[in-house]
Amino acid sequence: VQPPEKPLQAEEWNKVREDFQLPGIFEEVMLNSMIRCNSPIDVAKSLLTHLAKHDGDIAYSVLVKYLTLCVQQGQVSEICDVYDIMKARFKVLESGAYNLLIRGLSNSDQWRMALTLLEEVKKSMIPSRTCYESCIKAASRHQEMKIAFELYNEMLAKDVVPTLDVLQSLFDFSRGMKGAELQKELFGILSYLRENQIYPHKTFMRSIKLWFESIPGGNWRGHLTNIKDSGQCPVCNHQLEDSNLTEEEYSNLSERIIKDVIHGTDTFRKTSPKEFETFQTFVEDRLPFDIVIDGLNVSHIKSRKMQCENLFDAVNCLAKENARLLVLGRKHMLMNSSNWKREIMKEMQNKADFFFAENISEDDAFLLYATLRSGQHCRFVTRDFLRDHKACLSDTLTRHLFRKWQRGHQIVLKNNGFPLFFSKQPAFRYDCVVQTTGDTWHIPYKNVFEEKYLYQVPRKWLCIQKKR
Amino acid sequence: MQSANVLLRKIVRSSVLPFAAQNGMKNDWFPLSRTLSLSLCLKQDKSCEPSEKLDLDEWKKVMRSGFQEEVGETVSEPKELSSLAAARETLEMWRLAGRAVPENISEEQLKTFMECPSKSAKKKYLKYLHLKELYKKSNKRKMDEKREGRLEAQDQASKTDGTKKSSFVCLWSRTMDIAYNWRAAQSMIFGQPLVFDMSYEKEMSVREVTNTVRQIVMSESCNRRSVDPFHIHFCNFKDDSLYHREFVKNYRGAWDKLLITVTDQCYTEIFPKEKLVYLTADSPKVMKAFDHDKIYIVGSMVDKSIKTGVSLARAKRLGLETAALPLEKYLLWSTGAKNLTLDQMMHILLTLKDTADWKKALEFVPKRKYCGFVDKPVKELKRTLDLINTLKLGKRREEEEKRFAKNYPRKYKLK
Repeated sequence: VQPPEKPLQAEEWNKVREDFQLPGIFEEVMLNSMIRCNSPIDVAKSLLTHLAKHDGDIAYSVLVKYLTLCVQQGQVSEICDVYDIMKARFKVLESGAYNLLIRGLSNSDQWRMALTLLEEVKKSMIPSRTCYESCIKAASRHQEMKIAFELYNEMLAKDVVPTLDVLQSLFDFSRGMKGAELQKELFGILSYLRENQIYPHKTFMRSIKLWFESIPGGNWRGHLTNIKDSGQCPVCNHQLEDSNLTEEEYSNLSERIIKDVIHGTDTFRKTSPKEFETFQTFVEDRLPFDIVIDGLNVSHIKSRKMQCENLFDAVNCLAKENARLLVLGRKHMLMNSSNWKREIMKEMQNKADFFFAENISEDDAFLLYATLRSGQHCRFVTRDFLRDHKACLSDTLTRHLFRKWQRGHQIVLKNNGFPLFFSKQPAFRYDCVVQTTGDTWHIPYKNVFEEKYLYQVPRKWLCIQKKR
Repeated sequence: MQSANVLLRKIVRSSVLPFAAQNGMKNDWFPLSRTLSLSLCLKQDKSCEPSEKLDLDEWKKVMRSGFQEEVGETVSEPKELSSLAAARETLEMWRLAGRAVPENISEEQLKTFMECPSKSAKKKYLKYLHLKELYKKSNKRKMDEKREGRLEAQDQASKTDGTKKSSFVCLWSRTMDIAYNWRAAQSMIFGQPLVFDMSYEKEMSVREVTNTVRQIVMSESCNRRSVDPFHIHFCNFKDDSLYHREFVKNYRGAWDKLLITVTDQCYTEIFPKEKLVYLTADSPKVMKAFDHDKIYIVGSMVDKSIKTGVSLARAKRLGLETAALPLEKYLLWSTGAKNLTLDQMMHILLTLKDTADWKKALEFVPKRKYCGFVDKPVKELKRTLDLINTLKLGKRREEEEKRFAKNYPRKYKLK
């Protein structure tokens, strides 16, 4: 339905309602279309007046719809009125109305009322992240950074995940402000990004840069740069943190992988205890390896070529400098078939160690185990993102460790088309997270906001250093 | 009550409001908002003039006058609500706001609701209750309509009063039951065993167990009705388990009279190992034909969050032969997981047993899951599918292709 352009009289509304096929939901449909067309609120008011006169009462859902329209147009006094009415009419309100009220009020000079409303919400439920978002933004817009950070910390304490938008606004509005406390809070946000392996996008990065440069007496300077493969920053010649895990993290991760990924709820799901034992003794006898290869994954790199030839090329490409290789495969590769020629397999077994799992076992689990067991220097080759294995890990901390380890140790072979040649995408020598040494900050950032593939690591960095 | 309320409101409105407006008493009641909204109205009146003089804020007066009378009633109420009452209150507000929330909710359900770990879990649970309530209501309505229809028919029948003569006394359902039970009893002596493995309780949530039991009940009934029923075994069945309680809930008194074998033993203890075949969608082996000498095992498990390899792991542990239905061989699969419900499994197995016709048996796979039966080699099908997709879908072709490749990896490799 098309909402009318100007307020209607009661009789006129009656007529419109009669023309509508479903009189039961007339108000809701009408208000919905008013919200869609952003009609003047006077029109909506006239409808409410008609309803009030007609029924002597207005339903809660209709009030909420009207509130949506008011919020959409920033009609602050109306929002307050509706709140008064709702408050008086109903004992409690539900989250949808609170969300709207807080959003509407936080954008006005009545923003402090939004904060009181937030307190009210907290009594009955955990406020949504949009509630926190609007309140934090409102507080920081009015330079009340203390309130903003209190809310932000409270949000984190309640496990409500902040959007990048909120974090950015905290940086934006702290620009040029003094105060050690404030600085500490903002550094806290940066370490939040670090701990959760979040990469800011370009505009957010700019806000960070501007804030740093605006710190009175701070003498910070920021530069955009690309980090060399060696992990050195070309601007300040600082060497980034390397991607190795600490001793403790490493043993922790190995333990969890064996426990959660290989055994899980039932060892029989991915392998069998007997097979795993055979594999363990096999690996222990031949340790340490330099590179562990997922044979089946690598063998599919070029679809035009025979699978064993692909594997052969890959093994040849990697078997340089006396690197000790381990290739994992399944038993069916040993059967002479059109894709797996016995002679080629024989030849390969001279260059590398092979382990063949049962056809129904999962070789990825073995890949992880062999690599971790060989030590920090060992890499593994597969195009698989190993997401399903990461998902088996039970807590986020271990998952982050796994991702960090994966970034540092996974080599991806790429098929470069015509000259039959593989190129390696190297494992990163340096760790790709927000990092600091006290007087330098290095912050990786994404080029566009939408770039969201988790496996893609940004190559662009913001280097911030203190000039003395 | 309602009419009294309306009347009361009307009286209050008509008497108090003009009085208040004349004396400017409104200003005293709501000082701030009142002036603000007035000034705003004045501003906007220029942009869109109402057709006649129209008090746009009149609804507020009505709403406020409405609450004035109610305040008097509610003052004495205690302010602090227990958490249960508060939850009930919030639910009521959600219902008013038009969310999917049940009208009536029991204390127990409310507790379950409050124990839900997250917001989305809460929402899901409420939606489930809401839908359940809707179904119940519409069923009740249908039953009532039917009853009325029947009464009318009876009326008419009694008017005409024509008693028909027939050689049988009308006892259809009872006779049928006796006949079915006779067959089921025979199957318990001579029939081919079919095992339901009841050892998955730990892997499932309460609702999944409920669904499992419902599916088994349906399979049991269609087995009983078949010409040559299986001898059903429930193995690894623990007394007083969740399964047991659900079965008793479903069957009530009939549970003890069911013509099936229920045991806490494992199937490997009852039957020779080499005769057992564990049916699981994860099996690498595909069933070629139904073997009348084998004993098939079906895992009684509903996994809403698909847990791959659970039943395969069980079979591996016990060293049993496994098999999967040849779904890809006979059906051009489109969407959905390849694990079927237990009653579908039962239908398929029964049909296979009677006719050995795969096409007929696989009719019981839900239609939404496949596009049609495979009657040509896969390569040809792929070509026609390609053609259809290029004609019809254009862009979406690639997706289709990927899906096809995923479903038929052995014959058509894309990796």
